[in-house]
Amino acid sequence: MSEIRVILAIAQNDFSYFFRTKWLMAVLLSLNLSDMLVVALVYNRMMDFDYFSYYVPAVTIMGLFAASLDTGRRIWLALREGVIQYELSLPVSTQGLVIAYLLAGGATALVYSGSLMAIALIVLPANAAWNALLLLPFLFVLAMGLAGIAATLASVASTHGEFFFAFQNIVQITIVTLSTVYYPIEVVQKSLPPLLVMVAAANPLSLAAEALRQYVFTGAPIEPMFLVKILLASIPFTIIGALAYFGALRNLQNKGKL
Amino acid sequence: MRNMIRLVWFDLKTELKPPVWIITEWIIFLVQVSVYGTMISQLVTGIENYSNFFAVGLVIMITFDMASHTGRHFVEHAHEGRLPYLLSLPVSRSKLFLTIALQGGTELALMLAVPLTVTVMIMGNLTLVSVAACVLTLFGLGFGVAGLMLALSFVAFKSSDLYTAIVTGLSTIIIRFSTVLYPFIFLPPQYASAAAFSPLTYGADLVRFILGFDPAILVNPYYAVSILTALAVSTLGLGLILIQRLVEGVKSA
Repeated sequence: MSEIRVILAIAQNDFSYFFRTKWLMAVLLSLNLSDMLVVALVYNRMMDFDYFSYYVPAVTIMGLFAASLDTGRRIWLALREGVIQYELSLPVSTQGLVIAYLLAGGATALVYSGSLMAIALIVLPANAAWNALLLLPFLFVLAMGLAGIAATLASVASTHGEFFFAFQNIVQITIVTLSTVYYPIEVVQKSLPPLLVMVAAANPLSLAAEALRQYVFTGAPIEPMFLVKILLASIPFTIIGALAYFGALRNLQNKGKL
Repeated sequence: MRNMIRLVWFDLKTELKPPVWIITEWIIFLVQVSVYGTMISQLVTGIENYSNFFAVGLVIMITFDMASHTGRHFVEHAHEGRLPYLLSLPVSRSKLFLTIALQGGTELALMLAVPLTVTVMIMGNLTLVSVAACVLTLFGLGFGVAGLMLALSFVAFKSSDLYTAIVTGLSTIIIRFSTVLYPFIFLPPQYASAAAFSPLTYGADLVRFILGFDPAILVNPYYAVSILTALAVSTLGLGLILIQRLVEGVKSA
């Protein structure tokens, strides 16, 4: 019971650190809001189909993605600045510490993208806004999965900041590009080989964006199998991330360095 | 001059050994142009061959990022305590300022090497003069933006954290409210008036004009040349004056 309390305290500390980082908030908010209120509107005028309705839910998911990935930066900072040494001295197991960071990653991303979702619901009429609440637990699992990717990168890059940010940028652009977040699957099918089309269709970001479009904004009834797909696409990343971070911490405990 | 080159190399070598940032930027550019640009181009019906338009936009974004990084870097270094060291060197203030500009220019040239070559190859049918004019425009824009970031540095001398938040937030807004990603004619009137104040509008459209895009979708190139020149001269001048006056009192974080 007391370990759970420590885990929650570490998670809460990490959670508040995200929202207290002014430059990060400035970057994320200006990027996501201008995407939603400027880029979506202008692209809509350049296209024959309703791109605004397609793009606005995507921005919410991109906010979730960006906020989840910041978990990696916080883990990397903790490793570099030695904060992790202090945290390892707390009455918490190594697994508990890993869980705390992933929980914080999921929670920050969910709260941040929740605020974007609120704005999206104002600018784009939703036929089933209440479905957004039903999707939240699945988005939380997705956010933990994405935080897992970031944790893996931070663990691999160790204290080398330039490598961490390079890995993160390349992974971020690859995941977003090979998805249907910004363009429909029909467009992907025309341009990419079948294997990459499959990757784009199974990409958790594609699934989450599609769930928002269909179930919240279009108002289609929720298909449980689709939600299971989101879980199946997200959980492996959470596990890989947890194992990678756990391995890095174990290394640190055994060797005294990464 | 030797001292200036030594100072430039002092900073640059940490970024080039290994050149992770530069290679990352190149990879991201190539992925964006070859995949994202191609896909989104299929959806855009308002203009012909949007992927070319987008590629130029990315080059402008890299220029802007590098230039704002140069300005920001200087201010952040000031707060990390490096500025007092630089000021103690036998280098005049104006030479120090030129060193920063030279370093920014070198970094910009390295960053743009692959993206600009790829863009020029995609466009095809270009002359040496047009490529040179294009490079000149990008450097003019780069100096203007770097000067703008330095001119904003007076905020940083009150709070470095606030400065970073303002310039990073402002950077995104400047890009979105410009013609980097879309032609001026497609902007709603309320956005068009904001875009008319963005230096990137003029930089992007001038480069596109030089590369042979349809002038009907671009802003007047004469205005663009005048505005970019005025921006580069005024912000660099302002930055030079502010630095002369403000750097002495900087407190390290």
